[in-house]
Amino acid sequence: MDIAYINNEPFEIEKGETILTFIKRYKDKNLVPTLCDAPNLDPFGSCRVCSVEVALEENGKLKTMASCHTPVAAGQYVYPSTEAIKDLRKNIIELVLTDHPLDCLTCEVNGNCELQTVAAQVGIREVRYPEGDNHLYKMKDLSHPYMTSDLSKCINCYRCVRACDEVQGEFVLSMSGRGFDTTIIKGLDQSFMDSDCVSCGACSQACPTSAISDVFQSKAITATDTTRTICTYCGVGCNLEVSTSNGEILSITAPYDAEVNQGHTCIKGRYAFKFYNHQDRLDSPMIKRSNGEFEKVSWDEVYEYIATKLTGYKDEFGSDSIAGISSARCTNEENYLMQKFIRTVIGTNNIDGCARVCHSPTALGMQRTFGTGAATNSIDDLKDTNCIMVIGANPTDAHPVTGAKMKQFAMKSDNVSIVIDPRRTELARYATHHLALRPGTNVALLNMMMYYIISEGLVDDSFIENRTEGFETFKEEILNIDINALEEVTGVNRNQVKAAAYSYATAPNAMSFHGLGVTEHSQGTFTVIQIADLALLTGNIGRRGVGVNPLRGQNNVQGSADMGVQPHQGAGYFDITDDEVNKKYNEFYGVEVPKEIGYKIPEMFDAALDGKLKAIWIIGEDIVQTDPNTKKVIKAMEATDLVIVQELFMTETAKYADVILPGASFLEKSGTFTNGERRVQAVRQVVEPIPGSKPDGQIIVEIMNKMGYAQPDYTPEGMLEEISQIVPFFAGITWENLGKNGLQWPVAKDGTDTQILHTVDFKRGKGYFEFHAWEETQELVSHAKDFPYILTTNRELEHYNCGAMTRRTANEEILQDDYLMINPEDAAKNLINDGDYVCLESPRGKVDVKARITDQVKSGVLSTTFHFPEIMINNLTGDVHDSEAMCPEYKVVAVRLRKSKGKFKQVLADK
Amino acid sequence: MSDNLSELLGRKGIEENLFDKMGTLAKPSGTPSDEELKDLAKEFLVGTANAFGTASFYDFLRPENKGKKAYVCNGTACECAGTQPSVSEKLKEHFEEDEIGHMTCLGRCHENNAFHYDGKNYSGNALNTLSEIIGKENQHNNDDYNVGANGREILTESFTNLTDYYAPFQKALKQDSASVLEEIKTSNVRGRGGAGFPMGLKLEFCRNVKNDVKFIICNADEGDPGAYSDRYLLEKRPHAVLFGMLISGYVTHANYGIVYIRAEYPEAAVIVQNAIDELKEAKLIGENIDGSGFDFNFKIIQAQGSYICGEETALINSIEGQRPEVRVRPPFPAQKGLFNKPTTVNNVETLAALHYIIENGGNNWKNIGTERSSGTKLVCLDSFFNKPGMYEVEMGTPLSEVVNEIGGGFKSPVKALQIGGPLGGLVPISKIKDLAIDFESFSSEGFLLGHASVVCIPEEYPIMKLIEHLFDFASYESCGKCFPCRLGTKRGQELSTKALNSDYKIDRKLFSDLLTTLEQGSLCAHGGGIPLPVRNAMQYFDDELKEYFN
Repeated sequence: MDIAYINNEPFEIEKGETILTFIKRYKDKNLVPTLCDAPNLDPFGSCRVCSVEVALEENGKLKTMASCHTPVAAGQYVYPSTEAIKDLRKNIIELVLTDHPLDCLTCEVNGNCELQTVAAQVGIREVRYPEGDNHLYKMKDLSHPYMTSDLSKCINCYRCVRACDEVQGEFVLSMSGRGFDTTIIKGLDQSFMDSDCVSCGACSQACPTSAISDVFQSKAITATDTTRTICTYCGVGCNLEVSTSNGEILSITAPYDAEVNQGHTCIKGRYAFKFYNHQDRLDSPMIKRSNGEFEKVSWDEVYEYIATKLTGYKDEFGSDSIAGISSARCTNEENYLMQKFIRTVIGTNNIDGCARVCHSPTALGMQRTFGTGAATNSIDDLKDTNCIMVIGANPTDAHPVTGAKMKQFAMKSDNVSIVIDPRRTELARYATHHLALRPGTNVALLNMMMYYIISEGLVDDSFIENRTEGFETFKEEILNIDINALEEVTGVNRNQVKAAAYSYATAPNAMSFHGLGVTEHSQGTFTVIQIADLALLTGNIGRRGVGVNPLRGQNNVQGSADMGVQPHQGAGYFDITDDEVNKKYNEFYGVEVPKEIGYKIPEMFDAALDGKLKAIWIIGEDIVQTDPNTKKVIKAMEATDLVIVQELFMTETAKYADVILPGASFLEKSGTFTNGERRVQAVRQVVEPIPGSKPDGQIIVEIMNKMGYAQPDYTPEGMLEEISQIVPFFAGITWENLGKNGLQWPVAKDGTDTQILHTVDFKRGKGYFEFHAWEETQELVSHAKDFPYILTTNRELEHYNCGAMTRRTANEEILQDDYLMINPEDAAKNLINDGDYVCLESPRGKVDVKARITDQVKSGVLSTTFHFPEIMINNLTGDVHDSEAMCPEYKVVAVRLRKSKGKFKQVLADK
Repeated sequence: MSDNLSELLGRKGIEENLFDKMGTLAKPSGTPSDEELKDLAKEFLVGTANAFGTASFYDFLRPENKGKKAYVCNGTACECAGTQPSVSEKLKEHFEEDEIGHMTCLGRCHENNAFHYDGKNYSGNALNTLSEIIGKENQHNNDDYNVGANGREILTESFTNLTDYYAPFQKALKQDSASVLEEIKTSNVRGRGGAGFPMGLKLEFCRNVKNDVKFIICNADEGDPGAYSDRYLLEKRPHAVLFGMLISGYVTHANYGIVYIRAEYPEAAVIVQNAIDELKEAKLIGENIDGSGFDFNFKIIQAQGSYICGEETALINSIEGQRPEVRVRPPFPAQKGLFNKPTTVNNVETLAALHYIIENGGNNWKNIGTERSSGTKLVCLDSFFNKPGMYEVEMGTPLSEVVNEIGGGFKSPVKALQIGGPLGGLVPISKIKDLAIDFESFSSEGFLLGHASVVCIPEEYPIMKLIEHLFDFASYESCGKCFPCRLGTKRGQELSTKALNSDYKIDRKLFSDLLTTLEQGSLCAHGGGIPLPVRNAMQYFDDELKEYFN
């Protein structure tokens, strides 16, 4: 035990800690003032305000040291507040104030300014220097919809620059000049708007003054309340701290003690919240009358209307003529209620959710290999891994906080990162290996990797021996693959594949992450199985820093499946066709539930077109804009007698509804979301639902009661109590014990949660090797001849899926439309210039979209998004699905292209 | 300091270097264009802000340098000699005012009138032949200065030939590198850059850190005005420096040697490159030298005009292509230096000492000089001496001997000597008798040996003006990272200027607080060092200064 002294009093020191941390642990946290130090940044040593005096013996010769970056040593005598130190601090702050406006009363951070606090703490009463050169003339930068700067307030602590580097890894901020002239710059000394800023807000949160802030003035102390809740956008599950005053949301920041996001979040989580009280919010139930117009009605009337209709269809056509689509944007409790309603009240298993169109192959594939269809590890394991393999995912746009962590990982030269993606994504730019394969050839490429791992003897024999089955057959099949042919179809040089395989297999710990570029393919489930096989082959499963980790798309897509929003499995993933399971559900729910597998989403559309589906209830999903083959979806909606849409906004789908139910946003209700690492976190109501709307769970409860099932009112406490009795891995979850950072399932009855799955054995016993050969997708087999380009789809940082929320925030000012990425060679061949409208045509339809020429895509490959209803890219996507899980193939669409005649002419005319 | 930037900038190794490329791109117009910076940012993945931030730091890369054609030296020696106003005037006959910039110390302190034109330095009488220099190539621009020694010629020993000179290196390669290091430790040779840290220990720290990649850096950017001993060694004894780097590489298991040479010494870069080429030719560097299994290669990086790059961590950032801001220590360069790899940074003169030590053994070096300051030291005398020049003296030589015998006394009345550069002390002539050329003598008397460069302050030169000059220099060259130095040096300069040019009186308490803040609070020796000469001035020249204070 090593000892050092604070004011001659002995205390135990921890290895490697700084003097500042040492003092903070034992003394008042504010005993030593700091300015350049920040909780999530490395020590920097610029302000020197944290200086202390240190001696090697009691009252010995004193040396001044900056405590923030000096390690404490055994036997040191630290004197944090000697007279000399007090003078030094005061004199430094006096110098700072010679170049800082003294307009505190009108400053946006008045009362929450670290400089103000430290100046008060050290007791500055005057600035003795005559007026000299200063930076008070610096103009504000108000160019950006979110970020602001007022560099007259800058104290040059570099916290913003460091946050941009060490947290976000974007390098938008730096310093220019030197000495006294040193000043913060954005990009090439540009405005925020003209720079490459990604609006994550890390700099604003890091800034101790108002030098860098945001339009919401998130550091102002005008709020009367703060509420900690969970972000509604992606599956990362960032913790947010929402400031409110009089029931109005003022701003959002990221708590530093959040295990998921450690004080960081992204443009969507931090800034894209103004949709919640947007004028477009639906504020009353509505029924579409025979004139085609929606009429606002009371809740009583709408419930009566729905109940009568549904009962009618049930009686006349049977329960299976009704289907429900629940929402991965809603809470676990709401998803649980929706599937319960469909199963118990309606009496059908026709319940599905958006996992169908994103990670259904993940759940299925991983269940087949491991027995559990969820991430095996946690994002925090990035700290303990040596190699990451990111396949079919663009985390810096779609999972920005995890993406930022991966980018930090990829920048370190001792780490290995493998990116398998047709596009040169941001992460690919920094990766050790980027395998830019042709879309639709994941299976081919992964088989090549496994071929090299097996043929080079890089497998983990003891892991295979002890924990897996099926290896011998698998090995035989793998060694028989035709490398020449696969190299040809993937378009990736075999040596590159071999090098990446070698890196993955030889890393002490290798961790894989995958996204929709894996699942949204005709061989999606097979690709997931291969990723799992790779982990089995190399023993990368069951400890920290390894595993197979799907990057879940929606905030609660993991949770919706956990809660039983699937036509073949009920709450807790029990097989509904199993008699024992059926019995258990019947007893628990107190009614008979059906035993036949219900419709998956695409099957619902087919059933509608066949006239078999009479009613569909869709919560929070814009299937018209985001499901493939738009025309077909619209026809299906038109063919369904009763379309109930529970939504925040009049989405493209809502327009086809017969009944509209106004739901509530995540800011207006409580419950839990489960993030991509199985972490169940508490969503806490921040404001009341806007007048006329109701929490989605309460709406379902009310209709259940209306239709004769006694279900208590929606509360997270009550719902979790019910869920914990039927979902085994929720056994120990209560609303109270979720705490600040939630719990990772499975959670035992005593509340113990689980960071890593499969540490001892797999849910299915042994890990199962399953070989699948690559097959060309039918989309290309049938259409490649006439439609020679491959269109793939992606996401943009600024917008979330159909954009119903983000398009109603200032994010729209940053990215106004979908655009098409096209390689310079293809652009030249088709006489397309940057910004031209391009007409894309697939066997299903045509769209016009603006071109952006970029080498992010290879020649022959195009990529675009479907965030905007004006473009409706899904007019092009088709009906090919994953062979196993029916997830649509958004990632490979055969198209042809030409310069647009229509919109292109319009653009010229506008000029 | 950014770990990420160090990693990214190191990805392409030392041969593909961002900073190097910036220098090349700046050549045609004086600064890289925005487009070029964008391309560099993309190539090195560091963001445009970092590319711009780096370029904007350096005198010879920043946008303000655009279109500069000639540079006037404004180092302390030229400043005190009073020759520079006429240099500027003469240059204005040939150039527009905005085509003339400044360089701080071209190392021509022995004859002044120094200026830089078209990649070459001129001094002394060159000004009188300006019209012959401008627009012509291959101009003779050599200067002459006295070189001598008061005892053994070690650093000034004449160069024989490559084979003989490198024989001790080849012999060392056959020995265990630990025993070679032992000789260096025995010699107790201490760093000549100012801090006087034992070189053997520094090398040992680096040797003990395990890593496949390590670097030896020669800090040839110690730009203390008045010191031209580095220039002498680089230009006249380049092999002494390279030899020292090879040995350092051998004992630390480093395979790359980087010579970071001041922009103000353009000729030195050419000469050192020629010396490296000779070594390559003679197969004394490269892979598996002499079958020893030891690989070593050199790379010259030309600095771009920033005094702070003489600070070792700023220098490391500079080579990487980051802004040369001072890093916190620990981690020390031996643990985490260039591109986050173990690195040893040594001064030119320190490296040059290794040839003698390796050839003759550490004890022989240790026996020269004093108990704690072993060996010889190069001393530079400026143009106020009757015999200006660069002399090698044994440590412990009385300063009076240097001034009166070696330097031959002063040409005109002198009231003080600034020894050891702008961060060194200001020695009044009354103290000359009490000092000897060694670390301990200077520090015990409240001065600093530093580089042991001697700049004379003539009788008529106001000390207040010197204080202003020192603060001006310190402020101009501050990296701007730590608060005390960034703000304090600026305020110090403003206070002195105001007191000199108006009836403003500086508050003594305020001034003392400022000096203490700089001394105690600064991150590095730049801000921390500037109070020393100012305090010396306050102590020894109070009579002259009191009219400026109340």
